[in-house]
Amino acid sequence: MIRMERVSKVYRTEHVETHALSSFTVAVDPGEFVTVMGPSGSGKTTFLNVAGLLDVFDGGSYRLDGEDVAKLSDRAMSRIRNEKIGFIFQSFNLIPDLDVFDNVDVPLRYRGLGGRERKSLIEEAVATVGLSSRLRHHPSQLSGGQQQRVAVARAIVGRPRLILADEPTGNLDSAMATDILGLLEEINAAGTTVVMVTHDPELAARAPRQIHMLDGRLMDFSRDVPAPLFDPARPRLDPALSL
Amino acid sequence: MLAYQIRIAWSSLRRTPVLSALLVAGIALGVAVATTFVTTFHVLAADPIPGKSDRLFYVQVDNWSPERPWDRDRPQEPPDQLAWREVQGLLASEIPTRQAGMFKANLTVHPRGQAERPFRALTRVTNADFFEMFDVPFLYGGPWDSVAEADRAPVVVLDEATNRRLFGGEDGVGETVRIEDRDFTVVGVLAPWTPRPKFFDVTNGALEEPEALYVPLGLTPDMELSSAGNRSNWKPFDGEDYADFLESESVWLQMWVELPTEEQRQAYEDFLAAYVREQQALGRLTRPVNNRLRDVREWLTVEEVVPPEARSMLIIGLLFLLVCSINLIGILLGKFLGRAPEVGVRRALGASRGAVFGQHLVECEVVGLLGGAVGIALSAVVLRVLNRLFTEDVELFALDLTMLGAGVALALVAGLIAGLYPAWRICRVAPATYLKQQ
Repeated sequence: MIRMERVSKVYRTEHVETHALSSFTVAVDPGEFVTVMGPSGSGKTTFLNVAGLLDVFDGGSYRLDGEDVAKLSDRAMSRIRNEKIGFIFQSFNLIPDLDVFDNVDVPLRYRGLGGRERKSLIEEAVATVGLSSRLRHHPSQLSGGQQQRVAVARAIVGRPRLILADEPTGNLDSAMATDILGLLEEINAAGTTVVMVTHDPELAARAPRQIHMLDGRLMDFSRDVPAPLFDPARPRLDPALSL
Repeated sequence: MLAYQIRIAWSSLRRTPVLSALLVAGIALGVAVATTFVTTFHVLAADPIPGKSDRLFYVQVDNWSPERPWDRDRPQEPPDQLAWREVQGLLASEIPTRQAGMFKANLTVHPRGQAERPFRALTRVTNADFFEMFDVPFLYGGPWDSVAEADRAPVVVLDEATNRRLFGGEDGVGETVRIEDRDFTVVGVLAPWTPRPKFFDVTNGALEEPEALYVPLGLTPDMELSSAGNRSNWKPFDGEDYADFLESESVWLQMWVELPTEEQRQAYEDFLAAYVREQQALGRLTRPVNNRLRDVREWLTVEEVVPPEARSMLIIGLLFLLVCSINLIGILLGKFLGRAPEVGVRRALGASRGAVFGQHLVECEVVGLLGGAVGIALSAVVLRVLNRLFTEDVELFALDLTMLGAGVALALVAGLIAGLYPAWRICRVAPATYLKQQ
């Protein structure tokens, strides 16, 4: 599903260059559930942004679902985001003016589907997350956990092949976090690839595969072979965090 | 998608009501000023008789003083009106398809019965061809016929308001109306007719309404009718009676001829020249031959019916709208960038740059249309005030369908000008930048 090879991403300001991704190589197969861990600033979010075509990369190559994304136009990347990827964010990122139905409707609107088809997909997605009775509620009328459920519904409504979740439980208490993770596991069980960034080792441990990042490099993994692991100039990750 | 974008725009505007009101007010002000000046210009510059304006000609003959031109600032210009003698001489021509000499009088109408007191009514004293030549619409009856014209019969055509006043709006044709010292038979009643500008007599006020009564020009000597419009002389009148006045060089009449073909026009110019030479042989018209045949548009231009100030004000109005729009760029930019996190979410969910650009442009156009609606309403109020100030309550300046369309178009253009750059900026926002800031 995801094939990144020696991908680099540098953020430049007037005086500082920050290497968010350095020769980053990773592969995620279709149907996998992968968690990404690492300290703040290690490049987890940048990885997700690049993987989700929300940000461009400076070097290396990236194939998403077999397609080289390096030279895609904005329109083509938007179409891929719309049709193949679902995003879940830490702070839910619901649009406050829109009710649950309309929030979940957003990706379908950009897909240009007809009203009847959209309604059916929305109701199905909202039912999946257990919020059918809250269709006309606005985000401010929902709890944090419910808001994140809406975000999950929005991510899955278009039946994407890949879910990218950036600390989806970061703003939730442990019960709600477990709840959301359960949802993601269900989604994954249905065949959707899930890549989730998290700081919570317990939640990460529930995934079949974990990736650890440091300074924009893959530090520990269960299957990929990143060069930095063997770079003596790089600090080794605390073995306690490794799997 | 457009309906969805309009819904998003409306929602966005409701989210920040004060800011939205400011934006709408900015556009409204610009549209009000621009629409007002565009309407003013449109009314003054419009072709008052489309389809015929190039074959109706205003006739001028130079009978002015041999020592000085009629207009010192434009010495090549002949007088803008004709003497009675010229009109009588020129009406003898059979070249024009139609022709009419005319002047404005102010006559006393005596209603039947004692209930209503006599009143003064502005009257156009003219020939029967006036009505067909200028496509004057009739509610009842029609123009007087050639027999009445030749016999100088006391016949009258009333405008709709006067017919209503005298006969309660019933068909007044065949009724008798006493005007000045004699009874007139009503032969026609006009349907509402307000040519703008009043092109057939701009010398006496292009912004006036048409007259209430129309009577044959041939009645002038018998009734000793005098002009209620402008009258110019280049030498003192030394005659003794009205007959002498009619023979004088005083200019106070207008004359129009209808010449549909180039051949007719050429022939009529030759006729005019021959007429002047004949008069010169009789000791009149001592200035060099200086006749003019001007079609409607040309005549309105010469008479500056559209004053240069109107054109300047039109440009100023449009520039004002431009300034208003430009001033809103900053506000819209701030508003849009403040919503960058939401844009980031929409981009993540599949909105392309084009979709984001379009959505924000639609929002600007919604602002433009709201501002346009308010601006057009304001413009209508301002035009009403202008009518009261300059035209004695005549609805000269009014927003017709064309001007309503122009107002809407101006509003859309204003929205576009104000919104293009902010919409472009927000669509260039990298989606990842704001996703963590929500």
